[in-house]
Amino acid sequence: MFRAILYSQWKWSRLIIAVGTIAGFALPLVSLQGAARADRSPLEAEALLHAVQAWGVLYPLLAAALGLLVAIVTWAPDHRGRHIHALTLPLPRWRYVLLRFATGATVLAVPILAVGIGALIAVAAATLPPGLHGYPLALALRFALAALVAYALFFAVSAGTARTAGIILGVIGAIVVVQVFASVANVELNLADHLQTVLTNWPGPLAVFTGRWMLIDV
Amino acid sequence: MSNAIETESLEYRAGKRFALQRLNLHVPAGSIYGFLGPNGSGKTTTIRLLLALLRPQGGRIRVLDGEMPDDAPRLLARIGFVPEQPHLDVTFTVREILQFQAAFYRTWDARAAEQLLRQFELDDQQLIGRLSKGQKAKVLILLALAQRGDLLVLDEPTDGLDPVVRRDILFALLEYVSQYKATILISSHLVHELERICDWIGVLDDGRLLTETPMATLKNGIKRLRVRHAPAAIGTAPFAVLARHAANGGAEAAVSETWVVRDWAPEMASYFDGIGASLEDVIDLDLEDSFVELLHASREHAGRS
Repeated sequence: MFRAILYSQWKWSRLIIAVGTIAGFALPLVSLQGAARADRSPLEAEALLHAVQAWGVLYPLLAAALGLLVAIVTWAPDHRGRHIHALTLPLPRWRYVLLRFATGATVLAVPILAVGIGALIAVAAATLPPGLHGYPLALALRFALAALVAYALFFAVSAGTARTAGIILGVIGAIVVVQVFASVANVELNLADHLQTVLTNWPGPLAVFTGRWMLIDV
Repeated sequence: MSNAIETESLEYRAGKRFALQRLNLHVPAGSIYGFLGPNGSGKTTTIRLLLALLRPQGGRIRVLDGEMPDDAPRLLARIGFVPEQPHLDVTFTVREILQFQAAFYRTWDARAAEQLLRQFELDDQQLIGRLSKGQKAKVLILLALAQRGDLLVLDEPTDGLDPVVRRDILFALLEYVSQYKATILISSHLVHELERICDWIGVLDDGRLLTETPMATLKNGIKRLRVRHAPAAIGTAPFAVLARHAANGGAEAAVSETWVVRDWAPEMASYFDGIGASLEDVIDLDLEDSFVELLHASREHAGRS
């Protein structure tokens, strides 16, 4: 069963995976392209760190995009067929959902691996200035975690019905309305900021996306 | 005789206008059961309830040897299903969909699948999305048959298909039943088609089961009678009177009537002497006429009450 579903998952998401794999492999190489040389002065080393940090913004974006797109294609054919095929298969629904999730996560392993390999090659090929170190495995692990968090989040959302989407939009709408009323009534309340803090600061679920994504650091 | 499908006071409401009302369905094991009804009568809803695609709001559903929806995964392994609309992923080839399906059914018969591929003249490298309507219907039937289920549930499987494809599909179904003694529940509003293959008939209208009977009983039991001098009140008849109409036009209209009756038997002719009327003629109805008369009678009755 896993193989059959994995095949379907691969068939639906192979284009996304191919593009993600190329981007994931190229990103670490490009971020260090010609920048890491041993003859750099300390000031230049700082500039190098800035450059690596600037490129680092692209890792969480790539992870989020991969998670989103793979999650969408995971459910799209079932949505098109109104889930009739899936629901008439002889297995419990929770198991089908689990298989779909697992196969999506499995295909995501390819671009994650590409980031790891790309990062290892980039660090191995660069001659780092004294005091700087490469963190290819940590970066790849973080990328993996971010991609899986994004995938899990969007998988859950896209698995839902129009009603679920309505509830989510309703909650967002309610937050906006409360915020508007609070500002009209001069009440000190910043729900959006508070929500952002809860979600993106450790141990918030989106904390993995924030902060510095450094292939090279002190 | 045991039943492959049995529902007891099954209830389901979809919106304000449609509801299945205390549906008691009995599909005998080994039968080909025609589930007949006009569009919107509740056939597809009933089928979805039988397959646990919907949850009933009341009553019980027993399919094969288990309860739906509680035993759904186990029972679905023994049920081949052809939905009203093709539901397969259009990006798969026929071969890929066969391989996908085979992974889920322990009873999958790969040899039968290959044989049906040839019999239906399907190209296994063709994408599902590029198949014609008839070819898609054939693929769905192929999948249902190759599963080797004990029960096939077919929701209007030949609707909108040309006669050649319809004949191919019906032939494959009959062959399957004769070979594996399976039960088939086939919903349709193509009355003549059901008349050819079914041995039981259930008629559904507006969420109510109007009748459920062996095909032969329905066909032989519903008659159109020409009656003269029938009194307005006829008391208790040995048959059910579905409709009474005055004869068309002229002086005859005053004395002559057409009756549509159910549960008719030839020996009941003597009943008319007892009420001072005379039976002029007994006309056989085919299934379509019987079906239409049943619907008219039911709707008139519903309108009166």
